[in-house]
Amino acid sequence: MTGTGKGVPAGVALCSETRVPATLRAVLRGFDSAFVLLSGRGATSFGCAMRYAAPTSIEEAVSVLAGDVHAQVYAGATDFIPQLRMGRPEPGVAVDLKRIDRLTGLRREGDSWVIGAATPSARLGEEEDLVAELPGLVEAAALIGSDQIQSRASLGGNLCNASPAADSVPAMVVNNGRAVIAGPAGMRTIPVASVVTGPGSTSLAADEFLVEFVFDRPPPRTADAYLRFIPRTEMDIAVVGAGARLTLDEAGRCREVSVALGAVAPTVVMVPAAAGILVGHPLTDEALKRVAAEASAVCNPIDDKRGTKAYRRQVAGVLAVRALRLAADRAARTGS
Amino acid sequence: MARVIFGSALRRYTGGVEEVEVEATTVRSLINALDRRFPGLGEHLGSGLAVAIDGEIMADALYEPVPEGAEVHFLPPIGGG
Amino acid sequence: MTATATTTDPQPSYKWVGTRPVRHDGLDKVTGRARYGADLNLPGMLIGAVLRSPHAHARILAIDNSAAEAMEGVRAVVTGADFPMLESEMGGSGEEFVDFRDLCRNVMARDKVLYEGHALAAVAATSRREALAALDAIKVDYEVLPHVLDVSLAMAPDAPILHEDMITEGVDPAPDGPSNVADRYVIDRGDIEKGFAEADVIVEREFVTQPVHQGYIEPHAVVADVGEDGKATVFCSSQGHFMVRSFTARLLGWEPSRVKVIPAEIGGGFGGKTTVYVEPVATRLSQKAGRPVKIVMTRDEVFRATGPTSGCKISLKVGATRDGRLTAVSGSMAYQAGAFKGSPASLGCMCAFAPYAIENVFLEGLDVVVNMPKVAAYRAPGAPMASFASETLLDEIAEELGMDPLEFRLRNAAEEGVRSVYGPIFKRIGFKETVEAVRDHPQYSIELGPNQGRGVASGFWFNFGGSSSATVHINEDGSASVLTGSPDIGGSRASMALMAAEELGIDIYDISPIVSDTESVGFTDVTGGSRVTHATGMAVIDACRKVVADLRARAAKVWDVDVSEVEWVDGRAQHVSGDRAPITARDLAADAAGTGGPITASAAVNARGAGAAFSTQVCDVEVDPETGAVKILRYTTAQDAGRAIHPSYVEGQMQGGVAQGIGWALNEEYIFDSGGTMENPGFLDYRMPVASDLPMIDTVIVEVPNPGHPYGVRGVGEVGIVPPMAAVANAIHDATGLRLSELPMSPVKVLEAIGANGG
Repeated sequence: MTGTGKGVPAGVALCSETRVPATLRAVLRGFDSAFVLLSGRGATSFGCAMRYAAPTSIEEAVSVLAGDVHAQVYAGATDFIPQLRMGRPEPGVAVDLKRIDRLTGLRREGDSWVIGAATPSARLGEEEDLVAELPGLVEAAALIGSDQIQSRASLGGNLCNASPAADSVPAMVVNNGRAVIAGPAGMRTIPVASVVTGPGSTSLAADEFLVEFVFDRPPPRTADAYLRFIPRTEMDIAVVGAGARLTLDEAGRCREVSVALGAVAPTVVMVPAAAGILVGHPLTDEALKRVAAEASAVCNPIDDKRGTKAYRRQVAGVLAVRALRLAADRAARTGS
Repeated sequence: MARVIFGSALRRYTGGVEEVEVEATTVRSLINALDRRFPGLGEHLGSGLAVAIDGEIMADALYEPVPEGAEVHFLPPIGGG
Repeated sequence: MTATATTTDPQPSYKWVGTRPVRHDGLDKVTGRARYGADLNLPGMLIGAVLRSPHAHARILAIDNSAAEAMEGVRAVVTGADFPMLESEMGGSGEEFVDFRDLCRNVMARDKVLYEGHALAAVAATSRREALAALDAIKVDYEVLPHVLDVSLAMAPDAPILHEDMITEGVDPAPDGPSNVADRYVIDRGDIEKGFAEADVIVEREFVTQPVHQGYIEPHAVVADVGEDGKATVFCSSQGHFMVRSFTARLLGWEPSRVKVIPAEIGGGFGGKTTVYVEPVATRLSQKAGRPVKIVMTRDEVFRATGPTSGCKISLKVGATRDGRLTAVSGSMAYQAGAFKGSPASLGCMCAFAPYAIENVFLEGLDVVVNMPKVAAYRAPGAPMASFASETLLDEIAEELGMDPLEFRLRNAAEEGVRSVYGPIFKRIGFKETVEAVRDHPQYSIELGPNQGRGVASGFWFNFGGSSSATVHINEDGSASVLTGSPDIGGSRASMALMAAEELGIDIYDISPIVSDTESVGFTDVTGGSRVTHATGMAVIDACRKVVADLRARAAKVWDVDVSEVEWVDGRAQHVSGDRAPITARDLAADAAGTGGPITASAAVNARGAGAAFSTQVCDVEVDPETGAVKILRYTTAQDAGRAIHPSYVEGQMQGGVAQGIGWALNEEYIFDSGGTMENPGFLDYRMPVASDLPMIDTVIVEVPNPGHPYGVRGVGEVGIVPPMAAVANAIHDATGLRLSELPMSPVKVLEAIGANGG
């Protein structure tokens, strides 16, 4: 939910030693090192217990963050707590954002959907109109973790945890989501795509946090879809994630298209060539085959315990096509 | 008389003999009889091996009776999970 | 859901056996009240933590505890030096056979650490934070050595040697230098050259499997409390508290009677809890600190430091005649033993072809040490991987011959009077009946769609008898307490109660089945080896029969008649003439003091007559040709239970074995990095099936009664895990035309195979 590693002065006095003990180092190797904080951010506090703050307004939250360089915001804590258990250095104060009403809401405001950054992702599926208009975004949120996780996990946390495999991000990006950020200088808005800068890091400053996401309501004959590949049917981190959104014209040809892939590069990647291939044309098998090849080509994946480079490239192509077909199906059915 | 059939591991101590008939009433007397027939074999038939008498596998079988005409095998210890 | 028993013998009419009462421990377990190993807290209790090696293979040059011992809150520190150095000695009894020298070094390393995660020191402190900080303060000097995990590499001439004194057994002449092969086991029967010469069809293939963990949901946990008198009370879950007592005492250099073990509820074992890890450590810490010590393993530790089962490399060759008769099998199986000798390689050789009648057999099993945790038992140890190989080849032969795979199995089926592959002649068995049950099951005739396939496989497991004790009391109110020493991991309390109810003739809910500690019931072997319903059941039955004889004698006194005139029917004493009013157990119990004293009896057995178990299974899959994902559409398992005492718990065992076999087939594996560190020590990336991964597994309980048990029981806990990997592989073959011979058959592997095939 907050900046990681940027703007923290070195040599800051902390309440106890900041060394990361050997045992913790050994343990930290064991999980996605994307969010290991070995910088000055946060303190190992064997002598100093972590404090807890629960501000009830944005102003109060901004003030808590400004007052303590070792503050860490969180919402559902579904990444935060497991990381602490695995040895992530404890922050000086854990700032619970769930008491701020604006951050836990979900509403339609004029031509936009506004989703609080700390809103549990399960909430999205309860909103029938949102399901109808942005089904891909909703289904992406419904894939985070599990049913139990989704009753707490938020889109804000999913984004700011900055895992390359985050499920909500490709769907947010193809829908041109905007992120509203609060900080000491006030509020600012940037594209969701600009938030994550690399595995475990965001462009937010240490004293900023996400307030909400804004999605424009889609025009007619527009729909999105999100698919991911995992080895089991639930619980796994995405091996490949594909978000797609398109707008059809009255003749069923593609007017606008956007494809974003997750888990195949350090951050979400777009497939810009999809537009060149599809815009102005119907979704033929031959065209989709070419899109698949382009999707495979933009991947910059790794070999890890979840999949190989070759596998990710190939399945990225497969899922991009399946997501496009699904989105096209939905778009055709939305009528006018 | 009991009929004893040796697996590959034990044939090393019987000079390759696969089958033999001995007089015995219990497994212990059977082992003694076998050791007399094949000197040195006895120490390899100790605890740790399971014994199958007429198809029934058992451990700790030293005092188990060996019926007349029974077929006896020595097997590796069988542990379950 | 279940097509119930297809029973071969005329069904005796039982009142209780075969019914499905709610288990006595059910309410506590589903409401969270049940007390597992981590749930006990004692006054003054310290928290223990274990220091584990970061290296896969290293010499320990020095350990310096001084800083740790001086730390705030630390009350005791132990290393290998705090435990006696045991000599090589095979110990235990029945099926618990261990080398204590290896065990003591596994529990706490001495001169060498042999796997990443190997314990080498432990501390007890007043809080977990302090304990972890103390671990950090222990300074260890390592000389890091090259490590090896792959069996082929471990057997290569230039392999790093784990044990300088390991000379391969079973090789003649014995090698003159050490190696990593602890043992070579051979089955050599008939004449395989002649057998293969007779064959019209020969198939051969190499197979590779990975280590997989038993995956119990409850990590190991113990509270140990050594009193002023030097005696220890140990509270822990395990698959055998008498085993915990005996192993803990031995490792501490004590007599067994110095340790009392109280069994907690156990959250899964599957064989992985038939040994000790933290129990002796907690006990020694408690002795040193003079306070109780609790150690609870984290999931990470469970993966890094407790035994999975072996991964292996198998090469196998099978020959058959054109009319479908198996003529010869030969092959070699190399199993990972982990850091110390003792893989189930020999069992794999014995079980692979056990369901079939084959005259010419040559199978070699190699026990190979490698730098990973010492393997522990896992449900039918050794058999599942070997059967993955053998049942795949049988499928290939059947296909080449154009024969239905079930028909092929029937044609070669072992039955009573047939000599088994491992030597003895089978007594009465129910293998054929399981094959027929699958053949006749509706799933077998369901039509399949595109990208779908069907596979079958069979399996065998010995089942075990062993030592069990039981005590039965008739309480003053006429209810009965049935005390045994078998931890309940599969509903055994309910089965004991059912058998007791049947014998005593009283209502099942007037029976309390209790798992008693090591001082309160006689010695009992582990809960494992599919032995409890058989062996502990026999002890319970015997004890009940003694009680019934006693009750009849009491009634005879009351009526002043000879005991031969008294019958025990439906929980009451009846006079043969019928002209006396029956006396209930309750009345006799109320009057017990006057008729001879308390009514109680014990019995103990070293149970013989365990009946072999067979299972045949059918699996339908759908393969996504673009992603390699395999979906299990339908699954049916047919297993011979002899007699199902509590059918729901028999079904549970059958389904459980299948679920684990499917995980083993599709996604589970240990992933090591180049340093020998496990990369996936958690359930996120060690991928066991979740509920949505599996369809409802249909079960068919076949009942071919075992003549060795009063009710015909055959153990059911293990054989279910033996067929699934081959069943799934054969189904994938049917769907794609591809034979996958490496486990797990993950989407990456399946897609690679499809791609390699030009798909």
